[in-house]
Amino acid sequence: MLPNSEQFSALLSTLSADLVAFLPELILAGGITLLLFLRLFPQLCRVHSGFVAAGVVALALTTLLGNGHVTTNADWEPGAFTGLLRLDLFSQFLRGLLLLFTLLLLLLCDQTGIPDRDDSADFCVLLLGGTLGLMLMTSANHLLMVFIGLEMASLPSYALAGFLKGQRTGSEAALKYVVYGAASAGVTLYGISLLTAVFGTGNLVTVTQGLGHMIADSESVPLLPMAGLCFLFVGFGFKLAAVPFQFWLPDVFEGAAAEVSAFLSVASKAAAVGLTARVLLLLQEANPESVRLAETLGIALAVVATITATWGNLAALTQTNLKRMLGYSTIAHAGYMLMALSTLRKDGMAAVLVYLVMYLVMNLGAFAVVAVLRNRTGAETIAACRGLIARSPAVGVSLTIFLASLLGLPPLGGFVGKFLVFSAVYDAGQAYAVAGSPTLEWVYSLLLGVGIVNTVVSAGYYLAVLRSAGLDEAEATDASGHALPLGEPWGVAVYLVGLSIVLLILGLVWNPLITLATSAIR
Amino acid sequence: MISLGHFLTVGAVLFGLGLVGFLTRRNFITMFLCAEMMLQGVVLNLVAFSRYHGNLSGQVLGLFIITVAACEAGLALALFLTLYRRGRSLDSGAWQSIREIGVQPTIDVEPLMKTVPSPDYPRLPVAGRLPVAAEETARV
Repeated sequence: MLPNSEQFSALLSTLSADLVAFLPELILAGGITLLLFLRLFPQLCRVHSGFVAAGVVALALTTLLGNGHVTTNADWEPGAFTGLLRLDLFSQFLRGLLLLFTLLLLLLCDQTGIPDRDDSADFCVLLLGGTLGLMLMTSANHLLMVFIGLEMASLPSYALAGFLKGQRTGSEAALKYVVYGAASAGVTLYGISLLTAVFGTGNLVTVTQGLGHMIADSESVPLLPMAGLCFLFVGFGFKLAAVPFQFWLPDVFEGAAAEVSAFLSVASKAAAVGLTARVLLLLQEANPESVRLAETLGIALAVVATITATWGNLAALTQTNLKRMLGYSTIAHAGYMLMALSTLRKDGMAAVLVYLVMYLVMNLGAFAVVAVLRNRTGAETIAACRGLIARSPAVGVSLTIFLASLLGLPPLGGFVGKFLVFSAVYDAGQAYAVAGSPTLEWVYSLLLGVGIVNTVVSAGYYLAVLRSAGLDEAEATDASGHALPLGEPWGVAVYLVGLSIVLLILGLVWNPLITLATSAIR
Repeated sequence: MISLGHFLTVGAVLFGLGLVGFLTRRNFITMFLCAEMMLQGVVLNLVAFSRYHGNLSGQVLGLFIITVAACEAGLALALFLTLYRRGRSLDSGAWQSIREIGVQPTIDVEPLMKTVPSPDYPRLPVAGRLPVAAEETARV
């Protein structure tokens, strides 16, 4: 039962290489400890921790990028730390993305003043802890690590959602998030227990191999492993905010601070998409020739993607609160990403990785504009955007670029993401038709149509905000009737304009990104 | 003879009871206890399977679940305490200020806790002199 000496020496022989690849996470953990200990010194406890945290994240990011010896995914068989983690190119890509996002978010928090100096250590510790959990999620290769990653990411998020203690809505958001999160964790765990039960181990490769063969070979799939897989996907769906597990998201986004909403919207989603993509890829690799998996799981995912995207877009149309609207837009984007995941093909997964990069920039930008509006006008409604372009050209034009990109207009990054996702769905339909399944061709053509109709519907709410910002008269005017300037600090303006320029560049030059994403999947 | 099936049944029953309780209860603490009960069902499952397969992986997972559940309970109870201080109620129906436009809040007819009137105890007559009490500073 206990590991024998042979296994133990195998662990020790790869330990140093594993630790080097794991260094970014270790640096983050060290950074958390450092932030907590800084408070012991009276001279240092008045310093804003944002800079320290940003330094730690930047160090972790450079360490990750300096890990040049990971060249192919095959180098990482059978996984680091006796197969608990898989620190391959795929996880390298997503971990880099998460660290980059956290760094950008810390810079934004420094500009917008949430958290203030006294609370900054708490906030930064929670943020770094959440990032650490998300990074573990993206590299998990064992159901134990899946669970630990999910919980390590969730617990700080609960606390972050209720971080504005003085506000009633903040506490309410945290309450809803905690209660639903605890229940979904229970359901996920039940799924994990069933899967480990059937296959006798929690190793994802073994579990997915067994499941893949079961689905592909037998006519009737056994109940126990299928129930386990469904329960596991309930947990993923909760993190992804896929219908029918999306109900917590608008309330939490409305109650939490805009910066925290950005974290939940981008980082949490990126890690959940990564984990789902890894499980689906492993399932597909178990039996690459068979279309049975696509005919069962693929169609189920396509149905969920359709409902998620449609639900998000329709519900967003009637919103008046900007954060709540962006919450529903997050649900809709989760639907688009699920469309690409439902293809169960490598180019679909690569498309989703590119989509995540674009999504990071544009959604972070949109939430940053909300944070600026909150600071300067005290309101987070669409009405607060009136005449924004006249009041502050930098903020107004950046908002236009972010929302146009979320809508998917060329030549912005969002267009590239949507284009790749839709073309992956189309290719999947063609490929499955060649493989001899006309049903699947029909399903994916329908999915493509749904995606395009949804994009058109989403124009309704994105353009409503832009009309308000560009065409409506500003409410705050001076004596001669001119719009009052918004008066945002120059740092914020530089930040927003920088993000818009990045988005524009990503929309024009996207070949390197595709090459990177494709090599991460192979 | 107690077989694997018996353990799994108890685990499934615990999980199901927890899920039903979580979905139907209104008191925060009861809701959270129900969520914990779901986890206990899972742990029982894992330990039973661990024994069945003759390896330790289920037991290790069980240990991790217990630890994480404790962390989660700590965080949730701290949150419930701040909510109670604010609203003086553990009723989940009291927290509906964030909702869709045009949707009315759900109003529960039945109160969360039935207030039982205290029985009419006999009162002692006032006698003797008033004791002198030192003024204590209130600590919160």
